[in-house]
Amino acid sequence: MTSAVQDDMFTPDVIADPYAYYGRLRDEDPVHWNDKYQLWVVTRHNDLVWLTRHHELFSSAVFKNDPRPAYPAIDESDLGLYEYVRNYQGDQFIQHDRPDHLEMRKVVHGYFTPKSLEEWRPFVQKAVKQLLDAVEDKGRMDVMRDLATPLPVLVIAEMMGVPEPDRPYIRELAEKLLYIGRGEYDRMPILTDGMKGMIEYVSPLVDERLENPGEDFISVLASGEKQGIFTRHQVLVNTSLLLLAGHETTINLLCNGTLAFIQHPDQWAKLKKDPAGAAKLATEECLRYDSPVKSIQRIATQDVEMSGKVLKKDDRVRWFISSANRDPSMFEKPDTFDIERWPNQHVAFGSGIHHCLGATLARVEGQEVFKALAERFPGFQIDNEALEYQPSITFRSLKSLPIHWQ
Amino acid sequence: MARKLRVRVDHLLCVGNAMCETYAPNVFRLNDDRQSEAVDPAGDSEEKILEAAENCPMSAIIVEDADTGEQLFP
Repeated sequence: MTSAVQDDMFTPDVIADPYAYYGRLRDEDPVHWNDKYQLWVVTRHNDLVWLTRHHELFSSAVFKNDPRPAYPAIDESDLGLYEYVRNYQGDQFIQHDRPDHLEMRKVVHGYFTPKSLEEWRPFVQKAVKQLLDAVEDKGRMDVMRDLATPLPVLVIAEMMGVPEPDRPYIRELAEKLLYIGRGEYDRMPILTDGMKGMIEYVSPLVDERLENPGEDFISVLASGEKQGIFTRHQVLVNTSLLLLAGHETTINLLCNGTLAFIQHPDQWAKLKKDPAGAAKLATEECLRYDSPVKSIQRIATQDVEMSGKVLKKDDRVRWFISSANRDPSMFEKPDTFDIERWPNQHVAFGSGIHHCLGATLARVEGQEVFKALAERFPGFQIDNEALEYQPSITFRSLKSLPIHWQ
Repeated sequence: MARKLRVRVDHLLCVGNAMCETYAPNVFRLNDDRQSEAVDPAGDSEEKILEAAENCPMSAIIVEDADTGEQLFP
């Protein structure tokens, strides 16, 4: 079946409102061949869950196992840089399949259990308080710049034992790394700059932790090298990965969630009545309603049939969280933001063996921020409704979110 | 003798992360939907079962003392 839907996923209207576009695909052609980018677009909740839980059919080594050129297309003179990107991405533990993935995940998994991360809650609370103290008297802030961006940087940098003055530089590098999900044909030099900068920055930190291991997360990764599970390059790449993964996704949760509350005053009123009690389920609904990550990719390891289509071995398969989380066959009134929704089996963190390692940390940060906003700035308002999003198919990222109170 | 445990997995929460199979392989097994099930609560030691429960990213594993009903996790 050929869909009437156009195949350019980077047009301004698709970036502004992915829900209309991917929702229409979900209704018309849930396993859709995107001819423009030569990949499958999977949009139903049950197909996403099935796909992510059949990791043996869908490889996560999407760079290593994919000999095809970059998409969207890049400048021909940047093909060498693309090879660098492939090697870099290919060493991330999330881009491995079993059995290697399991060995790698075991090195880091214990650091991120709900129990271990609960111990970080007081640190998160203190960080949120400091950030809100700094803007309170001004009567305004850009949620993105003043709260959502610095908070995860503070937390991750603390976990990694990164010196305070370096934190703005890390953010700068992270912004370059975000070009991984973008479509500009000249994006490779910026992206590889970010990758090389990260490797250069974390190298001495890793050297030091190999010498003097501590309780921090870099020491945990470095222990994987001592056990023979990670190569040095893999330790460096995964340190950078965790720095990045903990940033952008959390920023998006905090900004998109705050925006959802702005757009739904009735739900904001509910949160204000009992911030501490309501924050947990509310954060789940923020994760579902306007998910931080829009889509993720796999490569078929063999011919697979899904919803009447045959996906061929080596085909690229992109699954859209932002569509699955609005699937009416899974969620009652899926386009309604309902902070008491339960059960809420959203796939904002994916599913299966690759389910987001940092999910609990993101949850703690979301809960503490929404709670604190409701307690301290109950009457805040958005400056204007003209919102812009980054042109990425991976991330649902606002460019800014200015609000005021008083 | 080790005490008897009751072990359950909440399928509204379980995302099939499958780490429980790694920590207590004789207790937990993924079903056809690739969600975990406690197939034999006596298959591994209490220590291993609690380790599996603590390492579940969704805290979906519930462990109780089968005789007293006391909840041991979460």
